[in-house]
Formats: sequence, C-alpha cells, structure tokens
Amino acid sequence: MTTQIHHCKECVDLLGEYIEGTLSPERAKALEDHLSTCPPCITFVRTYRATRKLCRHALATEMPKELMTSLTSFLGKHVPGFPCTKSETAAPSLATTADSGPKKV
Amino acid sequence: MADLNQTQREPAPEEPRLDGQPGDRELVERAQQGDGAAFAMLVERHQRQLYRLALRMTGSEADAQEVLQEAFLNAYQKLPLFRGEAQFSSWLYRIAANSALMRLRRKRRAPDTLAEQPLELAGPRFSAEGYLEPASSSDWSQRADEKMMSGELGAAINKAVADLPDDYRTVFLLKDVDGLSNEDIANALDLTVPAVKSRLHRARLALREKLGEFFDGAK
Repeated sequence: MTTQIHHCKECVDLLGEYIEGTLSPERAKALEDHLSTCPPCITFVRTYRATRKLCRHALATEMPKELMTSLTSFLGKHVPGFPCTKSETAAPSLATTADSGPKKV
Repeated sequence: MADLNQTQREPAPEEPRLDGQPGDRELVERAQQGDGAAFAMLVERHQRQLYRLALRMTGSEADAQEVLQEAFLNAYQKLPLFRGEAQFSSWLYRIAANSALMRLRRKRRAPDTLAEQPLELAGPRFSAEGYLEPASSSDWSQRADEKMMSGELGAAINKAVADLPDDYRTVFLLKDVDGLSNEDIANALDLTVPAVKSRLHRARLALREKLGEFFDGAK
C-alpha cells in the first residue's frame, strides 16, 4: 500500500490529525513530502493554524468569580460538611497553594 | 440519556499530583466517606472546566450557572456509584453535559441527540484533480498577528463561530478554545472520537474560509 500523497485534497483531509501529532509517522512523512513541493498547501497549513490561534485568543473565557461564590454558597446548603467559605475549607484553596508551594493535606 | 456507568474509558492513574495536593481518586474516596471538604476540593479543581463546558453547550451564562449547580449536586448524590474505573473528571463532564442537554431540551433548543444533522459547511475549493484552487490559498497568516487585537476581527470571529451548526461549534470551542481532549469531548457529548475529530476539522475549515474572506476584504 502506498502512503504517497498526490493531491492537495488528501493533504487537507489529514491536517487536523497532523497538527495534533496523531497522524501515523508514515502518513506524516507523506504529508510533509507533499508540503515540500506544494506552496498552496504550505499556505493552507499556515492559515489553518492561524485560525485556531485567532479563535482561541478572541473567545477564551474564564469563570466569573461571582459564579464561583454562588456555586460555593449553593453547595454549602445542599452538601453536608461542604465549607461555605474558603477559610472553612479543610485544605487551602488550590489557587493559592499553587503559588505558595506544595502542601500536604 | 447518556450512560453514567464509566465502563468505556481506560482507567487512568490520577496520583500523585505534582503540586502536592491529593489526587482526585483520594478526594473521591474521602468524599464518599462523607468528607464535605474533600468534595469542596474536587469542586474547586474542576469548576472552571465544567463552567466552560456548560457555557459552550448552553450558550448562556445564566444556564451555565444552573447546569453547574445541578451537575455538582448530582455528582455528589451519585458519588457512591462512582467506582473509579474512569477518570473522575470524565465522569463529571458527562454528568454536566447531560444536565446541559436536558436543559436545552426543556427549552426546545436541542435535537434529541448530537447526531448527524444535514448541513453545508464552507470549506476549501479543489480542482477536479484534487488541487487547491487559488482562492483557497491566499496567505493571510502573516497579517493575523497584526490584527489580533482588532475589534473588527473579533466581531468577524464571533459571527463565524456563531454561524456554525450547534454541535460543530460546541466541539470546536471545547477543543480549540478550552483545550479539552478529544476523548473528554467524545465522552461528554456522547460521540465517538472519530466523530469529534471530523466535526473539529470541518469546523476549522469553515472558520478558516470565513477568516480568509475577512482578511481578503481588509486588504
């Protein structure tokens, strides 16, 4: 069975797995061989990667602090022994311990 | 309704953690014995990623908040059934995804499953021989960094992503924006990993086309 890639369409079909590093070594090599002779596909790879980067930058989101507070309060009412504030937590908050070094509980 | 019996995932060692904190497995065992503080640590550890999942699926911060409350409470109540055959996080994602789907169905905004829907997504154009057409190979990647902070580009991205079919959008956001693994996405959305990869790739191709149109228009 040949692993050679003859056409751009085949190259584009494999791009997702290629950039995630999940393509088999043989297919990755065949794709790179195709890229070495096909400027349009090189451009395609660049813009495919740029698409991910731009979207990640534009759409990244963090959980609002107020929502964390209301979730803690909600679970404090429904889960026995659930600390309602961080100071009541048996172990320190993971966010703060990450800064202050490892701490055994 | 997705199956919550965690039999389809390989067991994964979750300990020890590099930050010195107890691993999920230890915390789950403590929580199963009634340690509320251990459950609180699990919540603290996983709430951000669960929030992103809920937000991406429902598209609403208010819904995401309710999904999160319901999912963690549900997880606490089902904790005695968790046997540790899957990662706790995967089990939790599945519970949250089910909660989000039920909420969407109640609002009649969701299909019965995230199964195949007929759709036409934009993508590159090829010649009959399989070569890229010139219009599909314009190189705007060099200008992407310059435009990164542009409000116009942000609006174009938001519109392009909003125009994707729901299930393609959810997979794309969870993977490329939020960084979940293909396996976790498949588990949460009750899809196969190949289906996740396929939707992800098609979503990226469609978004790439839209961004190409944006940059071509901005020359």
